Amino acid sequence: MKSFDPRVNRIKPIEEKTEMNIGEAWEPYEVFHQKKRGDHHIHVGSVHAPNAAQALLFAKEQYGRRQNCVNMWVVRTADVTQFQYDDADIFETAIDKEYREAYGFKVRDKINAYKKQQTESK
Amino acid sequence: MTPALYNFILKTADDCFILGHRNSEWTGFGPFMEEDIAFASMAQDKIGHAWLLYKMLDENAAAAETLAFKRAEKDFKCCHFVEQPIGEYDFSLMRHFLFDHADQLRYEMLMNSSFEPLAHFAKKFKGELKYHTMHADTFILQLGNGNEESKARMQSALNFCLPLALGIFEVYEGEQEIISQNIFAGEKVLQEKWLEKILPIIKDAGLQMPDMATLQAVNGGRHGFHSDYLQPLLKEMREVVDAFPDAIEW
Amino acid sequence: MYGNGYISPEETAKQKPDPLAGEDLQQLALFEERIARGEKIEPQDWMPKEYRRQLIRMIEQHAHSEVIGALPEGTWITRAPSMKRKLALIAKVQDEIGHAHLLYNAAETLGKSREAMINDLLSGKSKYSNVFNYPATTWADVTVIGFLIDGAAIVNQVINAKGSYGPYCRALERICYEESFHLKQGHDALVHLAVGTKEQRAMLQDALNRWYRPIIHFFGPSDKASVHGTLLMKWKVKMASNDDMRNQFLDQYVPKIRELGLDFPDPKLNKNAEGVWEFSDPNWDEFFATINGNGPCNAERLAVRRWAEEHGRWVRKALINPSQKQVLPLS
Ligand SMILES: [Fe+2]
Ligand SMILES: [Fe+2]
Repeated sequence: MKSFDPRVNRIKPIEEKTEMNIGEAWEPYEVFHQKKRGDHHIHVGSVHAPNAAQALLFAKEQYGRRQNCVNMWVVRTADVTQFQYDDADIFETAIDKEYREAYGFKVRDKINAYKKQQTESK
Repeated sequence: MTPALYNFILKTADDCFILGHRNSEWTGFGPFMEEDIAFASMAQDKIGHAWLLYKMLDENAAAAETLAFKRAEKDFKCCHFVEQPIGEYDFSLMRHFLFDHADQLRYEMLMNSSFEPLAHFAKKFKGELKYHTMHADTFILQLGNGNEESKARMQSALNFCLPLALGIFEVYEGEQEIISQNIFAGEKVLQEKWLEKILPIIKDAGLQMPDMATLQAVNGGRHGFHSDYLQPLLKEMREVVDAFPDAIEW
Repeated sequence: MYGNGYISPEETAKQKPDPLAGEDLQQLALFEERIARGEKIEPQDWMPKEYRRQLIRMIEQHAHSEVIGALPEGTWITRAPSMKRKLALIAKVQDEIGHAHLLYNAAETLGKSREAMINDLLSGKSKYSNVFNYPATTWADVTVIGFLIDGAAIVNQVINAKGSYGPYCRALERICYEESFHLKQGHDALVHLAVGTKEQRAMLQDALNRWYRPIIHFFGPSDKASVHGTLLMKWKVKMASNDDMRNQFLDQYVPKIRELGLDFPDPKLNKNAEGVWEFSDPNWDEFFATINGNGPCNAERLAVRRWAEEHGRWVRKALINPSQKQVLPLS
């Protein structure tokens, strides 16, 4: 039957069973893009590619075609090590770690008291 | 604008327009999803470049549309290379490799053109064309050095493409004037630079370069003599426009 | 476009009477609490088998819809009638392939390889949005698809973006952003026909007539009764009923067609006093026949995809890296 798509009429569409073999989709690479100089590279997704050079080419169009971008990294997904979400409790803390925060250090009261005492003793 | 300059810009634009149109046919039909996306972007770039050049020929917005959608086939100045159907991906990739290296070098040379608007566009197109050749080189190198099938396919694509590719450099009407006015250094110069650029890549890809002396360039396009493929391409492209002769806007 | 959360009857049949049989109840409670708190589920998390199965099915179906959705509009890619339309259409169809890509990656995080998903598409085992089994017979169809089908897809995708599965939500966020361009360019092209010559306008009306039923079918048959209180709603896999989504769509888009002095070919299409849109019986038998492979373009769509996979095979095979690892994308 004639297709409404002239492109389809130029090829011979395949009626029989066709399969993609395992491995033909190569392997995933994680993509990080940097919007402008000075920014961090941010993870935006992944591409499948046979090698890093190709992954960069693909990443450029899939993740860079619509937004500002000055640089990109790709990393083989197989090379990424991550924590398990099950272990997310390691990020929890038992006490409020005010000793490592700016707000944990307040001496204004002490200074004021000292000043007051000095004035009074004069 | 002199007829020579007009002709020079027109044939440059026509090449990009027709090749962009051809390459856009792959959208949704590519060999791999990621590559489908990349190839569609490059097709858009090509049509975009052509559009800007058409507008350079006539500032009237409708003029570019007329050039693309109403002009007679014999008034097109593109080479036969870009008119060829997309074929299989080996051909389309090889054409992309051979054409875009020439295109990139052409605009590199045009950056010093005495015709300022062309020099300006040449700088604007630079980044896109760099990506195009980066993409092409990566594929040619990998597939040339790939398996038996990909080697054989790329080799026969190269053999098939080269005579057609030489048609890019066909002398056109007014070329001497363009050279003497320092608008563009000429197709001969471009062809030499092009060979210098592609030969090492073809070699690294493990492909055999046919003896250039035996190759006969497929010419005619620059003088309005086209392959059998251009007329049907234009007819298809204009199917909607032609069916609605009274329509002013789309 | 368009993984509506529609579950075909055969899928329901496959569902075990107790989809939670054998699950670790303690883990299940933690999982459900997390969703109830509004937190997202990430690929590495524990999840019930039924959650995984339904999500794979849904995201995969959505991905297939994008890849097949590129074909009806692609029909006019070589014939778009102006430079701007030509570029916009290539960019739009390209985006749909891009959406498929993002969605296959998202589905893959759940453990099904891209190859396996594509194979299920090619064999006809997996479904995709029914609407793409209809042909785009004129240029006006492209404008109707771009405006109304993409419009319907946006309704669906914006709702689904609030779901519970992190990778799907992230993909949908980017997709929705691009869909706003699709909608605009579709509306722009449609309006140009509506206000153009009488022939242009007639072509548009004809397209509206032909696409009306597939559009009503888009969100699937009424599922209110079956969906409320089900696991899928609780797990934020399905976020709204088909009727609610359809109603929201009609509410937004029917006026935008009617303001152009055009209409759909259904005298019963109207909003009732309760704000609910009513329409004539859209013949759900036709919908089921099409979904089961008997629509006007099912065979062509798959045959074209098979061609693309088969003719791209040599490229993919030649580049296979012998040391490549079969791993899942991270997120
Ligand atoms: Fe989409
Ligand atoms: Fe879309």
